[in-house]
Amino acid sequence: MRRARRPGRTLAWQALICVSLLSIWQWGYDLHGRLPWLVPDLLDPYFVSKPSEIFEHFLILSCLKSKLGVFNGWFNGEFGRCMARSENNLWIATAVTLKNTFFGFLTGVSSGFAAGLVLGRSDRLSAIFQPFITAVNSIPRIALAPIIVLAFGIGDTSKVVTSWIVVVFLVFFNTFEGARSIDEGFVNAARLLGASEWQITRTVVIPSTMAWVFASLTPAISFALIGVIVGEFIGAERGIGRLIIESEARAEASGMMVAVIVLMLVGVALSAVIWRLQAYLLRWQQHNFVE
Amino acid sequence: MHEARSVASPEMQRIDVSGLCKTFQLAGTAIEAVRDVSFSVRRGEFVALLGPSGSGKSTVLNMIATLVKPTSGRILIDGTPVVPGHATPNVGYVFQRDTLFPWRTVAENIGYGLQLMGVPAAERKERISACLKQAGLQDFGNAYPSALSGGMRQRAALMRTLVVEPQVLLMDEPFGALDTHTKIEMHDVLLRIWEREQQTVLFVTHDLGEALTLADRIILFSARPGQIKESFAVDFARPRNAVKIRETPRYAELFQFIWHSLGEEFMKSRSR
Ligand SMILES: Nc1ncnc2c1ncn2[C@@H]1O[C@H](COP(=O)(O)OP(=O)(O)OP(=O)(O)O)[C@@H](O)[C@H]1O
Ligand SMILES: [Mg+2]
Repeated sequence: MRRARRPGRTLAWQALICVSLLSIWQWGYDLHGRLPWLVPDLLDPYFVSKPSEIFEHFLILSCLKSKLGVFNGWFNGEFGRCMARSENNLWIATAVTLKNTFFGFLTGVSSGFAAGLVLGRSDRLSAIFQPFITAVNSIPRIALAPIIVLAFGIGDTSKVVTSWIVVVFLVFFNTFEGARSIDEGFVNAARLLGASEWQITRTVVIPSTMAWVFASLTPAISFALIGVIVGEFIGAERGIGRLIIESEARAEASGMMVAVIVLMLVGVALSAVIWRLQAYLLRWQQHNFVE
Repeated sequence: MHEARSVASPEMQRIDVSGLCKTFQLAGTAIEAVRDVSFSVRRGEFVALLGPSGSGKSTVLNMIATLVKPTSGRILIDGTPVVPGHATPNVGYVFQRDTLFPWRTVAENIGYGLQLMGVPAAERKERISACLKQAGLQDFGNAYPSALSGGMRQRAALMRTLVVEPQVLLMDEPFGALDTHTKIEMHDVLLRIWEREQQTVLFVTHDLGEALTLADRIILFSARPGQIKESFAVDFARPRNAVKIRETPRYAELFQFIWHSLGEEFMKSRSR
């Protein structure tokens, strides 16, 4: 018989792995100097920085510490002055990137979903648009980012548009497939109970397409973030992507690492939101027994 | 037209089908599924369409239900022609296979038709719980269909159709997927409802025992292309008991009589 899972144990293992990796990252390279045959040359802090430096840099980028290494006082106004002075500090950069990701995701999901439903339910429209969609879909969307920045400027709009364009097709194709594969039995059942076309869309087509749509949302949120970051790489005044470019120009690996870690946390948080939403909206998919 | 419907006399035909034909086009070849079918069903009558698999029973029913467009022929319900693609008011349909919405709970499934009609929530709740009780599903209102057995699902599907109180019921082998015992149990459920509500029922089946238990009249279809071969009156007294009726000599007698004719059609449909 299999042993019951013990969440405590799993957690302990995870903590152990985490601590070991961080330790190797922190001290591994020093060891390489003395024992070159044991530790490979991969962890040169010049390229990958190390946890202590990253944390230090995090404090500076987030205005908690001054560049001289002194903690910024809250009450003496140092923190406020630093926030005002550095227009792309970590807080603002994160807020801007999040905001643009959110709007790119929202517009991408809603337009992709609507288009997928309409074309998925209409044989004629899908036949007309099919070659165009295939053609546009064959373009690697990221290749359009420079054009978009050129067209919409280095402000937030170009980031939202880049994000939208990578999200919209993903959601569109999933919704389209979902709408195509609807069981006509459900549609007929609704129709014979007196449902109008609009009621059928609302009560049958949308719910039965939902599982397909959700399958695309987790990748869509990552794509939305990628779209914004790439847009910021190409030209931006603020944002985490911009922060990476700035650090790169100064050859500061620790600054880039701070940005990457923030992106990771943002990605995890956004995915978690999607998961919660999915668990609620698709609760009928879980096996549900009456107690 | 409206006039005609409201002053309809009790003797008037509820369902009137004449010269019905259907030919499907399947990958370039024409499949003649139904050939010149004419029959009618009186108000409150329970008629079974019996025939071997592929004899066009579902096709006839689907044409009456407006799901399939006839190639030719005329279908009247209460004297009014049906319009393909537009549900006829007061006509309920129970499917051959399970079409409960998996994303709705059993109660929400049953309440679906009422919701479409805009029945207020309080009244809806009342009528749903009456239906749940009637189907013996009181404890399963909040369960999703996936948690129900096949028999329970079919009862829920029946209630989803009945909750809006249709006067005409079209049923396509609604109990075809159930085991014998559950099936007979369902026959009793249906008989009790029908005795009370007196709907006009057109019931498709390939199970002779089922047709004998339920119907006033059996219309026998021939193997493809579907045509009416014969028609039999089933004269058991009402109310009927689905279990007891099978033990009577008259049941055996009628069974024998129709079985022979049905058997010929089964042989024909197998030999192609
Ligand atoms: N949509 C369709 N397209 C093409 N052919 C069809 C279609 N629907 C039914 N048919 C054909 O029409 C004939 C009659 O089918 P139908 O479903 O009416 O039979 P049935 O009597 O209900 O059989 P069963 O008892 O197996 O349900 C069959 O030969 C079938 O292949
Ligand atoms: Mg059938």
